[in-house]
Amino acid sequence: MTGTAAPRLDAWAKVTGRERYAADLYSDRFFWSGAKRAGIPHGKLLEVHTEDAKRLKGVVAVLTSADVAGSNRVGIIRGDQPVLADKKICYAGDPVALVIAEDKDILQEALDLVTFDHEPLPGVFDVEEALRKDAPLIHEDNPWGNLLRLVSVETGKGASAFDECDVIVEGLFETPFQEHAYLETEAGWAYLEEDGGLVVVATTQTPFRDRNEMALALGIDAEKIRIVVPYLGGAFGGKDGITVQCLLGLAALHTGGVPVKMWLGREESFLASVKRLSAKMHYRLGVKRGGAFHTLECKAYFDTGAYAGLGETVMTLGLEHAGSAYRIPNVTIEGSCVYTNNSVGGPFRGFGVTQVTAAMEQVVDMAAQRLSIDPLAIRRINAVEKGDKNCIGVTLTHSTGIKKCLAALSEHPLWMEREGWKMKAGQFKKRGVGIACMAHAMGYPAAVPDFANAKIELTMEGRFRIYVGIVDMGQGNASAYAQIAGTILNQDQGAFELVQPDTGRTLPSGSSSASRTTYVYGNALIIAAEDLKKRILDKALSFFKTARSQDIVLGPGGIGHREGKKKISLKKVAELFGETERTCKAYFRVPAATEMMDRIYLGPHIIFSYGAHLAYVEIDTLTGCIEVTGYLAVTDAGSVINPQAYEQQVHGGIAQGIGFALSEEYKVTEGRTDTKSLATYIIPTAMDVPDMVSIAADGVEETGPFGMKGIGEISISGPVPAVANAVADACGIRVPRNPITAEKILQALGKQNKQERPR
Amino acid sequence: MRDVLLPNTLDDLWEILYSEPEALLYAGGTDLLVKIRSRSPSPPFSPAPQRSDPLAFPLFRRPAPLVCLERIRELKGVHEEGALVCIGACTTHSEIIRDSLVSLHFPILIKALRLLGSPHIRNMGTIGGNICTASPAGDTLAPLYILDASVETRSCDGGRLMPLKNFILGPGSISLQRGEILYGIWIPKKRDLNIHHFEKVGQRRALAIAIASMAALIKLSDDGIIDKIRLAWGSVASTIVAPRTVEDALTGKPLTEDVLRDAMPLLEDALSPIDDVRASAGYRRRVSANLLLRLLQYKDAEFEGPGIQDKVRSTNL
Amino acid sequence: MKISFILNGKKKTIDVESGMRVIDLLREHLHLIGAKEGCGSGECGACTILVDGESRLSCLMLAAQIEGKRITTIEGLSKDRRLHPVQEAFVENGAVQCGFCTPGMVMTAVDLLSRNRHPSRDEIREGISGNLCRCTGYQKIVDAIEAAAKDMKEGDAE
Repeated sequence: MTGTAAPRLDAWAKVTGRERYAADLYSDRFFWSGAKRAGIPHGKLLEVHTEDAKRLKGVVAVLTSADVAGSNRVGIIRGDQPVLADKKICYAGDPVALVIAEDKDILQEALDLVTFDHEPLPGVFDVEEALRKDAPLIHEDNPWGNLLRLVSVETGKGASAFDECDVIVEGLFETPFQEHAYLETEAGWAYLEEDGGLVVVATTQTPFRDRNEMALALGIDAEKIRIVVPYLGGAFGGKDGITVQCLLGLAALHTGGVPVKMWLGREESFLASVKRLSAKMHYRLGVKRGGAFHTLECKAYFDTGAYAGLGETVMTLGLEHAGSAYRIPNVTIEGSCVYTNNSVGGPFRGFGVTQVTAAMEQVVDMAAQRLSIDPLAIRRINAVEKGDKNCIGVTLTHSTGIKKCLAALSEHPLWMEREGWKMKAGQFKKRGVGIACMAHAMGYPAAVPDFANAKIELTMEGRFRIYVGIVDMGQGNASAYAQIAGTILNQDQGAFELVQPDTGRTLPSGSSSASRTTYVYGNALIIAAEDLKKRILDKALSFFKTARSQDIVLGPGGIGHREGKKKISLKKVAELFGETERTCKAYFRVPAATEMMDRIYLGPHIIFSYGAHLAYVEIDTLTGCIEVTGYLAVTDAGSVINPQAYEQQVHGGIAQGIGFALSEEYKVTEGRTDTKSLATYIIPTAMDVPDMVSIAADGVEETGPFGMKGIGEISISGPVPAVANAVADACGIRVPRNPITAEKILQALGKQNKQERPR
Repeated sequence: MRDVLLPNTLDDLWEILYSEPEALLYAGGTDLLVKIRSRSPSPPFSPAPQRSDPLAFPLFRRPAPLVCLERIRELKGVHEEGALVCIGACTTHSEIIRDSLVSLHFPILIKALRLLGSPHIRNMGTIGGNICTASPAGDTLAPLYILDASVETRSCDGGRLMPLKNFILGPGSISLQRGEILYGIWIPKKRDLNIHHFEKVGQRRALAIAIASMAALIKLSDDGIIDKIRLAWGSVASTIVAPRTVEDALTGKPLTEDVLRDAMPLLEDALSPIDDVRASAGYRRRVSANLLLRLLQYKDAEFEGPGIQDKVRSTNL
Repeated sequence: MKISFILNGKKKTIDVESGMRVIDLLREHLHLIGAKEGCGSGECGACTILVDGESRLSCLMLAAQIEGKRITTIEGLSKDRRLHPVQEAFVENGAVQCGFCTPGMVMTAVDLLSRNRHPSRDEIREGISGNLCRCTGYQKIVDAIEAAAKDMKEGDAE
């Protein structure tokens, strides 16, 4: 039933090692495939030398762009990224050749034998440098040089309203590239069927979209491509779109029906995969003496790396949240999404919101300090309510619970006892607390149809089969669907089978992203399940001679009479159905804005989740090391379908946010990766994350399945600003560029205490 | 793919080394096998393999076999001989942490080992491996230096004994001759030390390569005078830095902040840290000096060392 | 090379190259796909198995090393479809999200609890500090191991 902390359906198979991920496919005969990556950030590709590799015993094929029959281009908006590099290399991870071999060792040997000639081109590694008139061009056919897109929004009097402010605070904030570091790297398995159909099993969040991209890029009929998606070992946006699919598909076309496997090593995944776009954000916030926010100016640069991908939508969603969860009547927001040769920018949980929230929530604290207003109080003064306009001037017509979040935070012992805790700091320690608010829009922007197609079947055994439309990358949406259907159909979880996304069996339902996965498919599933329930009861009626339809009720395993003892099993009822009748389908489209479509690129969002976080931080003044010793997150994501799954999402986002706050930075120097593996890209271990408290604020989103809305991303945007604010509280140091490392703290402490000595 | 040989005795090993002089030796595999992986997968992110690089396989020559030392009983275990304790080179870090002789006589080594890598790496990695890898960041090294450890090497012809600080020549460079292996580590039992200190600064609290570390052994008199002190720093030069000048400046003085601060310039002269992906040289310098001040916390009798359950979690308000 | 060992309680003899990584031996040769490769360099713990009851990284072990050893993989933990208490606790406490770190995490927890019957939460965190998880933030994993420790009676531990 919804509302209960039912263990997830996938847990048993995962905990026994039985669940098969994309990387777990093997057979008696199969080949390995892998890509030769460029290793240089920018250059004209002249010739690829494959002869030595081809001659190696055990090599099946070595392919280049010449072997790609279609457009050789992917990228859902601009289509500017090659499957195999043809004219240019734009980042060090560009693949120049694809090798297929009989085993892994031969594959590695062959990859080492592939070489290429190139003409080096000067690289572009900084967004502001990239926008200069004389900057080297990455995409010569782009009419705006290295600018992918400029987005601007102005409301009220814009920046001219700074004249009306009593206090103005400003700062330049930067967030670096972040690497998803999912435990399962990109992997897949592909083969041609006898009828010429291409089957690809892959780690992807977007099976139906992939199919279209593959068709165009490889020159195959989309109808002939089937993409099957097992549970993913984490994705967080890094598997949103084409990763291995085109290369695998291409390989499968050259193996004469023998399956081919690809599994990226960790170092290759680091090199090749998309990263959270780095951002430079100039923020100015003008405030009235009583604490009301009056004017906001945000000028941001987002580095989308070598290819467009979804970079411009990441920036746009960020800009839509530039003012976080507050009422601000006058804003000037401008963002430039810029090409560089640094890496490739792409989706990562938070999707632009994490970047701007890091900045905005810090200027809020700076303003609070200038005005001597408590940081919680200033947020309560400005937090939006339903009916207010958000920071891009769109009216909030759906549930808006940020005030409830702040109220719950203010009543929690962690907030109330913070001063006492701070005073107990030991020798060489300083303690501080910091808060941050956040908002996160659910679903796609208004111009992009956001829908799902649910499909549920009563099987001949009398069980229910849900055709999961949206990939479960670990967030547990597949189990949530079973819980939703279980509530409608009044069945135990054991009655459900789940068919994971498969373009041959499940229906198009959009990507596993945008915090939409339970809301959109769940809503469609409710319709389909209600439909199926009605059909079952109608059919079952024939077994109850004198009953009317309101006398019988659907329960676990069967239908019974409300007053009598007679029961009929679902298995028996299933026999009464015609083949197609046992399956119900339903379509649901997320409510979208119909006004102000030109307010922002692709239109605004109207459904938002909210959060308020509190971080406890302890700094060691000898080393500068920062420890997050406590964390509270209060979230408004509507009703809670499964408290355990809800907490899972909140905890996971916080941990990734803490990593981003303290230790994670994907470093690139002149287009070459410095943080090549998990040894140098530092994600938190179990000793680096504290026990976290997660509270769900009371609230219902009327349009959501059982009253819920998005929960998957919101929590990741809290830690960077909450920790930064806590650090400022602890020692008066504000580090505007995360990660907030011990080195940065110690350097700042040194400057601060030139004459003083540590306590 | 390389062949792997698994000798059970030293005699087995000498036979192998005679017929395969190019063999690469490992015990736990947590260093060598990682190095091999980082050389062989397809560049570009590592430099292209050179013909002279013995790890660059499979391109250039018949690959030399690997020899795993973990089963050689003579290389395992901890035993005492009079005033000395010997730790076999292939004793794993976990085994050492659990050993009663080491706990009794060298608690500083236990403290350092508990911070090394992760539980799995401690189960697999060996003290001999840590020494022979000779990384300036090796967590066992600073404690072993100030414990006055010596290393015993053996070959089929005999053995040598030398101070650890003479065995390690530079990053990845040790005084081991062909046909020789590291046999054991000899440590003299220490008496009347009352402060056994190790601190490691890393980017996170486990699975971290030290950015800087400091080991200290002190005999503090009842009235707070430093009667004896040994100090060593890791990750701040090409090898462990154990400056006598700093020790001499502190001996006979009270353990106070002023005294420690006065010694810091002497430390400066002894360090030559580098910039790398983890930290800058400047940070390493600053933090190495600051780590001296941590010793002041031992004035509180309850203090056991940084990070040793020294946490007051927010939930214990 | 012929290698004989005990795998999940049963004697096994296989013929593989001595230099094959144990992770590959398990997954490719023995079709035991529970142990996962997350990094291949000992940094993530997803490949953790038990060797004579002690947790080790199978990506950094070579086939020759398991001669005569008692190997336990995640597949060998549950008996007759009854989950090991650690597995049961993981399921009940929501410690499984994407599940890719789970087999390695469970094996490590089994080793931890065999040495320390009643670990504190901090000791649990230290015990699993070599197993990276990107989904859970670790808290429910710690909850699960704490719960398993309470539930486990004598004889259940490996």
